[in-house]
Amino acid sequence: MAKIALCISMMIYCLQAEILHVNRDILQRHCLTCHQEQKIPSNLIYKRYLLKYSTQARIEAAIFSYLKHPEQQHSIMPSAFFLKFPMKASLSLDDATLKRAIKAYVSEFSLQKRLRLKKQ
Amino acid sequence: MLPSEKRSLVRFLAIYLLSTLLLFALASWIFYTASKHDIIARQKESLAYEADRIVSQIRALHRSTADTLFYPQSSIVKSAIYDLDGNYIFGTLPQEQTLKNSRKNLMIYYTTAIEPYYLGAAYLLVAAPVQTAPIATLKTYTWWFMAAAAAVFSVLGYVLGRLFTAPMRNSIETMNRFIQDTTHELNTPISTILTNIEMIETFGKHHENSAELQRIAIASETLSRIYDDLTYLNLNHRYHRHILPLDISKLVQERLIYFEAMIHAKGLNVTTHIASHVILEMDKNDAIRLIDNLISNAIKYNRPQGVLRIVLHKEYFSVSDTGSGIAKKDIHTVMQRFKRIENREGGFGIGLDIVLQVVHHYNFDFSIQSQEYHGTEVSIRWQK
Repeated sequence: MAKIALCISMMIYCLQAEILHVNRDILQRHCLTCHQEQKIPSNLIYKRYLLKYSTQARIEAAIFSYLKHPEQQHSIMPSAFFLKFPMKASLSLDDATLKRAIKAYVSEFSLQKRLRLKKQ
Repeated sequence: MLPSEKRSLVRFLAIYLLSTLLLFALASWIFYTASKHDIIARQKESLAYEADRIVSQIRALHRSTADTLFYPQSSIVKSAIYDLDGNYIFGTLPQEQTLKNSRKNLMIYYTTAIEPYYLGAAYLLVAAPVQTAPIATLKTYTWWFMAAAAAVFSVLGYVLGRLFTAPMRNSIETMNRFIQDTTHELNTPISTILTNIEMIETFGKHHENSAELQRIAIASETLSRIYDDLTYLNLNHRYHRHILPLDISKLVQERLIYFEAMIHAKGLNVTTHIASHVILEMDKNDAIRLIDNLISNAIKYNRPQGVLRIVLHKEYFSVSDTGSGIAKKDIHTVMQRFKRIENREGGFGIGLDIVLQVVHHYNFDFSIQSQEYHGTEVSIRWQK
């Protein structure tokens, strides 16, 4: 029984890792490649989202909404940002893939994952 | 201090102290609660200061580009950050700690909102153990204050009580003095009357007016007995008792002969069950005062042609009458000195008081049973 449970747990873990890997790959291919080429600070964008929306679900919803309609007035970034970085074109990704990419983005730049307690 | 005065003083003190201390306890409780809240509020102020410090560190962390972000820690407080939906993000408080259940005893909590949401945190919860030392000191001071107030008000109450009962004490002392003086003045004329009646009876000069003479004899004996009672009360146990084995059976018989004239004058039917050789270790005068007062009361408060029942047993002595009896409400007060249930019969109301004094001195057991309009039975049990 314990072996079965262990096997199932291992399978779930592997599946999750695989999903993360796939999502990370989507993110890299459809988003980060351009961001890195144009030196768009993805981590700073994430921090602005975090400052305004607090929770992961709200951030994901806000990014999704922006990416569906990428306009300056919907952007989290200040108008001066667009003087340096042009407004991006709308993505041709389907909603499900887009959501997976957003999830991977939030996970990639999460500040909460970097939090630690200093040993005293 | 007179027993009645003592009783009144105790009652007054009980009511006075109870009401005063109740009021003080309430005031102290309000003071204690307010001060305790004040202490906790001051502790919360220090938590608020710590919270501000932590928020500024969180702000710095948000801006940091380091790979590892070390959460601000404090030796004084524990803290945790929560997102906009109240979900735990990170902190030194356990993950089970939510914003809603921060109401535990022995810990004080302080929640502050963070705007904008640095690190995604919308709330910061700061907690520290309640510092119990100042509260314990406050509690000790409150108890000392209560104790001091109780002491002061006890003394004040006692002084006030003595002042209030002074008129009653004066009245009783005046009455006692009056009885003392009266007793002193009665002695000579009573002795003279009784001696002369005895002389008339001895020399056989009483045939023509025997009924009148008998009435004078009864009245004189009654006076003599009142005199003896009053003397007994005035001496108030300060005389030397001769405790000897006393034949109570014989004494009861003798006292019945003494009361014969009074019994005859009221036409009472006497029923006696007197066990022989009932011997008790007691002073003869005490025994006479006890027996005389019980028989005298039973004669006095009996109805004409009633029944007087006297029972002497090895364990008890009882006297019952068929008089008007005593109302239930009066049964507990009938033993008090100067208390008279019926005013149509003469007397000072000292009979049962004397009986009780004797009963208490010898550690006897006293009981009285009465049925209104049917009669009264008084019993003395020798052994408790």
